[in-house]
Amino acid sequence: MERLSWTGALGPWLVPALEAALVALALAALAHPLALLAGYRLGPGPEAARSGPGRAARLTGGLLRLSLWALAAALAAFLIGGLLVPPEAKGILGRIATRLWPVWLSLGASFALVALFRRRLGLLGHLLGNPAGAVGLALVMFWVFAALFADQIAPFDPITDVIAGMKNKPPGTPLPAPEGTYGYYLLGGDALARDVFSRAVAGARVVLAIAPAATLFAFMVGITLGLPAGYLGGRLDLLLSFLANLVLAFPVILLFFLLVTPEIVAMGVPTYMAGALFLFPLIFLTILWNSRFRTRPPLRAALIGATLVLGGWLYAGLAWNADPFGVVSMPAGVLIVFVSVVFVNAPSVFRIVRGLTLDIRTRDYVAAAQTRGEGPWYIMLWEILPNARGPLLVDFCLRIGYTTILLGTLGFFGLGLAPESPDWGTSINAGRGLLQFVPFPPLVPAVAIMSLVLGMNLLADGLREESLRE
Amino acid sequence: MTAPLLEIDRLSIAFATRRGDIPAVADFSLSVAAGEAVGLVGESGCGKSTVALGIMRDLGRAGRISGGTIRFRGRDLATLSGSELRRIRGNDIAMVYQEPMASLNPALRIGRQLMEVPRLHRGASRAEARELAREMVADVGLPDPDRILDAYPHQLSGGQQQRIVIAMALMSRPALLILDEPTTALDVTVEAAIVDLVKGLGRKYGTALLFISHNLGLVLEVCDRICVMYSGEAVEQGPVRHVFDRMRHPYTQALFRSIPLPGADKTTRPLETIPGSFLMPQDRPRGCNFGPRCTHFEPGLCDTAEIAMRPVPGASDHEARCLRFEKIDWQSRPPVPKAAAPGEVGAPVLTVSGLRKYYEVSSGGLFGHRRRKLVRANETLSFEARQSETLAIVGESGCGKSTLAKVLLGLETATAGQVLLDDREVQETPIQKRGPRAVADLQMVFQNPFDTLNPSKRVGGQILRALEVFGVGATRRARRERMFELLDLVRLPRDFADRMPHQLSGGQKQRVGIARAFAGGARIVVADEPVSALDVSVQAAVADLLMDIQRTRRTTLIFISHDLSIVRYLADRVMVMYLGHAVEIGSTAQVFAPPYHPYTEALLSAVPVPDTRVEKTRIVLEGDVPSAIDPPPGCPFQTRCHWKDRVPNGRCARELPPMVELGSGHRILCHLSAEALGEMEPVFRVAAE
Repeated sequence: MERLSWTGALGPWLVPALEAALVALALAALAHPLALLAGYRLGPGPEAARSGPGRAARLTGGLLRLSLWALAAALAAFLIGGLLVPPEAKGILGRIATRLWPVWLSLGASFALVALFRRRLGLLGHLLGNPAGAVGLALVMFWVFAALFADQIAPFDPITDVIAGMKNKPPGTPLPAPEGTYGYYLLGGDALARDVFSRAVAGARVVLAIAPAATLFAFMVGITLGLPAGYLGGRLDLLLSFLANLVLAFPVILLFFLLVTPEIVAMGVPTYMAGALFLFPLIFLTILWNSRFRTRPPLRAALIGATLVLGGWLYAGLAWNADPFGVVSMPAGVLIVFVSVVFVNAPSVFRIVRGLTLDIRTRDYVAAAQTRGEGPWYIMLWEILPNARGPLLVDFCLRIGYTTILLGTLGFFGLGLAPESPDWGTSINAGRGLLQFVPFPPLVPAVAIMSLVLGMNLLADGLREESLRE
Repeated sequence: MTAPLLEIDRLSIAFATRRGDIPAVADFSLSVAAGEAVGLVGESGCGKSTVALGIMRDLGRAGRISGGTIRFRGRDLATLSGSELRRIRGNDIAMVYQEPMASLNPALRIGRQLMEVPRLHRGASRAEARELAREMVADVGLPDPDRILDAYPHQLSGGQQQRIVIAMALMSRPALLILDEPTTALDVTVEAAIVDLVKGLGRKYGTALLFISHNLGLVLEVCDRICVMYSGEAVEQGPVRHVFDRMRHPYTQALFRSIPLPGADKTTRPLETIPGSFLMPQDRPRGCNFGPRCTHFEPGLCDTAEIAMRPVPGASDHEARCLRFEKIDWQSRPPVPKAAAPGEVGAPVLTVSGLRKYYEVSSGGLFGHRRRKLVRANETLSFEARQSETLAIVGESGCGKSTLAKVLLGLETATAGQVLLDDREVQETPIQKRGPRAVADLQMVFQNPFDTLNPSKRVGGQILRALEVFGVGATRRARRERMFELLDLVRLPRDFADRMPHQLSGGQKQRVGIARAFAGGARIVVADEPVSALDVSVQAAVADLLMDIQRTRRTTLIFISHDLSIVRYLADRVMVMYLGHAVEIGSTAQVFAPPYHPYTEALLSAVPVPDTRVEKTRIVLEGDVPSAIDPPPGCPFQTRCHWKDRVPNGRCARELPPMVELGSGHRILCHLSAEALGEMEPVFRVAAE
């Protein structure tokens, strides 16, 4: 079998179209500012200023828009065309698009659902009307679905499928002897002869399992400490702010190196830290129910009981690896990464929550809650926190992106996760040695990180704009 | 007469939104002659600020002028280029906004900000510009110009800041000064001084004024002509006195009848509220915009075609947008609805004696020894509030009235003195220890309607929570039923329970706040400026609602306000506060008639009264309220008092005056002798007709 080309049978038509669109875009992008400038310079008197950009500028502006659309159409044609042509005519892109069919299906279905119930979905519905938000949401959802369906999408096992003769092969290389398996390494093979494409997809699962959960834990810690610091103030605020600053001032990478040092691990420091940090979600939920339902004791008892039993079980398993049923546990490497990420992020969240609380606690509805004799925790969690949700939601998205990069950095330094882990940072680290000769093994996970973080940032932008508009 | 300075002709302004264009202003015509002061009044949302922004061509990205012209000195502003527009803005037309702190750059000294104007517009040298700035600062009545020029904005008080903003606007000697609610954020006595200043400077420099306000009294004091706006249109305009005496548009009349003028009384002559509510621009009806709320509405006439302004006979330039004004009997009043008899004032439920509240603020560095300073927020307050009575607490910002409310409610504990709730001492019991019954008995209504409800919870849920906390109702269903009854009580539809606060108007939110306060059957309600942030027509409705609830439930209402008109309308007794002291206390009739405390006298004279028949003695106080950290020695009011020289030996500056009993519960804190007090004349005189 021959090596696959990138575009397959579509190449002869689509590649020139793409090139034409690119050239047109470049020309228009150059000409448009010039035309704008010329329009300003030549316009005599007020009439020209009022009529807006000159005719030349309008022309180049139109061309710019047109060429952008053409480019987008050409790219879409690669994907859709690749999906539709018969298997033997598919190139690498077409085959990747085909492998990703569960993602397209779920993306289409979820966007259709959101669009259908737009009016009732509030912020999420508005997000579709915002270009940045919609693109961000699509990128993020793409990776979420890719992680969910990784087993269906990846043609090979990311760790165990080592196929002789596929070491450092370029994209589209056929397998020497495909026996009932997929015939190609779509994005080439890495230094250990594993499929780069499968590893990138499987890496999404690792990253998306750790990053949002770790960010959520960091938020729990930051909120549980930031609310009282802002609301009660005084010495408590002084102490907590000082501690937060202390953590923030410590070099992050050094902290990670310390945490994974065998001696420190042997001393059990990460476990103790996990023991402390993982307590916060429990505390948070318990206070949440207690303050809200103090007037309805049976409901309160039920909720707190459920939280403590379920949470305690998870807590024992995750933090101390002491689940009596042996179901819940966290690998030691993941635990270290998790703890480090929570530990580093919590102080920033703390400061944001504290600042928001300082602002919101002066509102009349907080005073109204005080005059009806509500306790401080009810006011913090049920009056203040819901009204801080806008900025916190935006920060949550940004922070997931940041955490993703942090995970990449950790992986790149070989900290935490096992060396064979398919996560993106570790893959980049493994591939960087031969970057000049075999670019794809590190390049693919790098693009993956970039697109996910970009998606998160766009989503955050969209959320911010839309929540301001409310 | 020469051509007017500013001529707006059939102006329309529209804002582009997701749901299409929304017309904010339609068919608006107005002209301002050189040196003339024109008032633009209307309720919030009527488009008066949009007109001002349209003149400045500052409508943002969404707004655009969709029709008509604005001519300034004969030139159409819409045709000007960016640079020509910049020359006119700030140079020929200047604008003063409501919030002074937002108009000043907090990072630059006052001097630099003022000097910028002549340096930019006239290319003046630094020394020249500074000299001009100094003159201007002196002109706006600020003492010690050099110190002011070197100060940063935050070092000045609100009144001083607004004077600086006015000075900045006048630096370039503009031909037209637009003032958008310039005094709304200020205290009444400061407002009076600013209004005097604007009037005087307008005359001195020959500046034309476009004065935008919702306060009819202010407009009467400042302006020559008035234009009343409703729902994006001018509904009536003409010479101020002519319009005030012979209004010919039903909306203007309804507006006047909803504000408490002297003579209004909560039982015999209650305020009239305008039925219905303000319509959003996209819901405007055909024909007369005010039609759906108008008592003189005639189907087939008022709702067929757009109505144009029609001249009103009697004055050359008085016109109204009403087809029926000749047929309306302008003197008749609708019959007074039979109000429930005022509740019998009962036994004292709240007794405060010798109450003091001091705060400690520490200043000084990290290592230097800290200097502790005392803020004397409340000084020896003694009063009582009886069942079914309205006690008004009046004073300007910083007088300690909000601190008093906090102490009463238990959010703060008293430093000294005694607060008796019925016959239990509560001055040292914080709210958490008061027990649900005591907490439910004493509740509060807040000032800012946009802040009083939690924006992320449904209206019904917020009332339900109060019911839960107060232990009302045994089951969820019982509480829900009770919540609906409370919505009925404040006259809101029951389906409002499922609405979010942002779907409610300001007045409706305030009603929900009242419902929440009465959730536990409160017997004493502290209302902290409950209507001052609302539009006048809504104010009347909310005030009447409070009165109605009081009558049926025999509630004690402690009504904190700075607005003396509304206080006179609904209070039974009044306590006037200044710098933490109660300077005068007595029944409403006693406080509003001589002998006054000198501060009460000044406060009364500062209140603008929108009635041409009322003659007022002008007493303008100098300077600002002193700080409570560093109060003046002796009498708290001695630094601004007009009567000070009537007290021998400068006792005012040395000794705190005693509380003098003037008979039947009327007490004042003053050194003035009985004969000096006897010489005081009433501030208001109603001219005989």
